[in-house]
Amino acid sequence: MDILQLISSNLLTPIILFFLFGIIAARIKSDLKIPEAISEFLPIYLLAAIGLHGGIEMRNTGFENMLIPMLVAIGLSLLFTLNHYQILRRLGKFNIFDSYALASTYGAVGAVTFSVGLSFLKNQGVTSEGYLAAILAVLEPVAFIMAIFLTNMAVSKQIRQKKESVSKDDTSDLDMGIQETKTKLSQVLHDSITGKAIVILLGSIVIGYIIGEDGFSSIRIVFDEMFTGAIVIFMIEMGIIAGQRLDDIKKVGIFLTAFAIIMPTFNGIIGVLVATAMGLSLGGAVMFGLLLASASFIAAPAVLRHSIPQANPSLYITSALGITFPYNIIVLLPIMFAISTIVHNGEGSIDLFHYITKDWI
Amino acid sequence: MKLYTVKLLTITCEILAQKNIIEILKKHEITGYTTYEVDGNGARGLRGQGLQTEKNVKVEVIMREEKLQDVVEEISRTLFANFAIVLYVSDVGVVRTEKF
Repeated sequence: MDILQLISSNLLTPIILFFLFGIIAARIKSDLKIPEAISEFLPIYLLAAIGLHGGIEMRNTGFENMLIPMLVAIGLSLLFTLNHYQILRRLGKFNIFDSYALASTYGAVGAVTFSVGLSFLKNQGVTSEGYLAAILAVLEPVAFIMAIFLTNMAVSKQIRQKKESVSKDDTSDLDMGIQETKTKLSQVLHDSITGKAIVILLGSIVIGYIIGEDGFSSIRIVFDEMFTGAIVIFMIEMGIIAGQRLDDIKKVGIFLTAFAIIMPTFNGIIGVLVATAMGLSLGGAVMFGLLLASASFIAAPAVLRHSIPQANPSLYITSALGITFPYNIIVLLPIMFAISTIVHNGEGSIDLFHYITKDWI
Repeated sequence: MKLYTVKLLTITCEILAQKNIIEILKKHEITGYTTYEVDGNGARGLRGQGLQTEKNVKVEVIMREEKLQDVVEEISRTLFANFAIVLYVSDVGVVRTEKF
């Protein structure tokens, strides 16, 4: 499979072209703008469509196979977040807040990227496992929660050290700090689980599971046939926002720019390989890789501004939306597709592993 | 008509700081406020474009002078360092002073 050819044919799909068009529109300072209500509505629509599809698929295939991929995805997401943090803190010399914020932005998942991936696969005539939508929902808060927990631990450790150097017996402030950390964490947990993204996603999965193919036929025109078209409209908006931020990329610096490209590639390829080893289909492995490669830019600011306000938001929004998102959908997606095709058509060793894991389930 | 002088606290800030401000107000037993979405330009660049989470809001709160000091102090201490925020106080006249 020629990767370059895949990339160039991907470049000429409406999704990518409209994204690039949006960037150009922003660069020439056009007043083109997607009305606010629509750009707020589209993510909800996309998540509903993803959820419905996932739910229907899960009804067809059952979800007993879901547990291991889901746990593996959570484990990898946590591991990658820690890994990001070490790289950013040690090599990138970012401060602790920016490091954790960026680490979790890249450990979290991007629902828009996920939608683009689904439509890419549709374009290639490949299907993916429906339960990936459920993994998307579960993975959404995981990286944030860990990063926030670790940040708060680090902060209270600093406070403790300061306290010890000042006076030995007064710990009331520290206790208060720990208490605050706990409430902050439960607040984040509550906010992200009841946040609109997860609620609409989980709700649609359940509804999709209940209605099945039969019930879906009456709403297919909206949630299936219009899916790619809706992404295209949203891509104009994403392109405009990314285009407005192009100047900020200079401020992000070379290190973070490289990080924003290398990390998703690494995470995504690992994801594809691990998913293949777990026995996911060709398309499923691509989507699994994409889950791990994608960075969050819609949920991230809302979560992180509250929980790690010290971190500079323009760093994580610009790198996730301005660099990683275009890179993921234009370049990395075809690369992962090519890799997944190769490993799925190849060696029997992977099948062997599949048999082993199958026995566990 | 007799007008009573009270304080109007106006805070223009990024939309994600709104929750923190409302919480502070609540803590000081102030439940009445008005917010509206705005855009503009400032130290952190053009605001109100792009992502939903990057908008600005304006929060207006009328309160008695006794509470003002504490509220302003807490907002400055907890939010000034990390958020895009501007705050100012003015005198306004109200008819029903018992409401505030």
